[in-house]
Amino acid sequence: MVDVAFTLQADRAFLDLVVEGVTPLVDRFEVTPETLWTVDRDAPDRFVPNGYFARFLELGRAHGKRFAAHGVGWSPGSADPDRDGRRARWLDATARTHAEFGFDWWTDHLGVTDLDGENLMLPLAVPMTDAMAAHVRDGLRAMAGVVPAVGLENSAFYYALGDPLDEPAFLAAALDGPRAHLLLDLHNLVVNADNLGFDADAWLARAPLEKVIEIHVSGGDVSEPAWLPDGRTLRLDSHDRAVPEEVWRRLAEVRPRCPNLRAVTLERMEGTVGPDDVAPLLEEVRRLREVVA
Amino acid sequence: MTLPAEYAAFERTVARALRAADPAAALRTASDDATLPDDLRAALRRAAPDGVRLAALLVARLRFERLMRGSDRAAARFERDPRGFADAFRRYHAEVAPTAFLPRDEAGLFEEWWSEAER
Repeated sequence: MVDVAFTLQADRAFLDLVVEGVTPLVDRFEVTPETLWTVDRDAPDRFVPNGYFARFLELGRAHGKRFAAHGVGWSPGSADPDRDGRRARWLDATARTHAEFGFDWWTDHLGVTDLDGENLMLPLAVPMTDAMAAHVRDGLRAMAGVVPAVGLENSAFYYALGDPLDEPAFLAAALDGPRAHLLLDLHNLVVNADNLGFDADAWLARAPLEKVIEIHVSGGDVSEPAWLPDGRTLRLDSHDRAVPEEVWRRLAEVRPRCPNLRAVTLERMEGTVGPDDVAPLLEEVRRLREVVA
Repeated sequence: MTLPAEYAAFERTVARALRAADPAAALRTASDDATLPDDLRAALRRAAPDGVRLAALLVARLRFERLMRGSDRAAARFERDPRGFADAFRRYHAEVAPTAFLPRDEAGLFEEWWSEAER
């Protein structure tokens, strides 16, 4: 059975609007561990739970939902991942979060967000070299020491540092080994294919689909013409719109090709759901169940 | 596994470029840097200029949102004078490295910069 899942955002207004309707429709919640942490005032180098930690935990326990973790701060491509004890800090906080939530798997984004000690937050492309693949793989092995399974998502990159059609092989190399999986984000794939100009079918044909543990679906806006000097617009991975039909079509097509798939997750960003958006959002969750059944 | 030292230099180059006034030009210049190995310079040459510009804008926007979440004072200043505050934020983003992870740490960095800027 493949679970239907939904992302819980650490935002009171978002939760107040969507949780009641979404909870009975899903099997699983996905949470971003970093949004459940704050800094320990007495030990600033240590993350401790914030208020959403208990709220999400209680929600899961009350309704019998399982959890998957989807991080945003691991930064697998950082050249010096343990600068200032950063990686040890993440491992410690993830282990303590997993002890309560019982994550079935943990994933983060391919790329780098922490560059030379600067936290840029946006996943940025890394050189797709053998050395980088081995480096990313070693980091995942460290994380696999604290959670049952690990994985990487194919990120939305607004520029590439090589041929985008080499990315599937790079991902396969980075995910080589047991308990390492691919989180296939279909919206990121179509965004990248449009923005970077490649064939999404060719990308999928090369991807290690036997490694897919989870699929993400979401929607997004396009950039404003004023943002770029030539007025060009690019698609954004903004999670602020309904899932486009192209993503639904790709989900139906690729789902049977992923023999180890365990969940399909609908992502939606906080601050992008108003009262009028709730009913269409719940309709998307119902449609998701029909597609993955 | 530890990456070769050139990767740290490469990473530093990308980080600085994404906060530069012209990020695409900064990366293009870096692709001629003879201290970087050929494969990393070739990787930089593959970066599409519009994509680099958009990524730089999104990095700034994410930082702005992090500041708004972490500082009621900064949010109030933005509310009072959106254009003036946006100009101030641009200077802050260019001058202060984004080392914060949590919103309240970003707020601390910004308040420190603001105090200095007001002197």
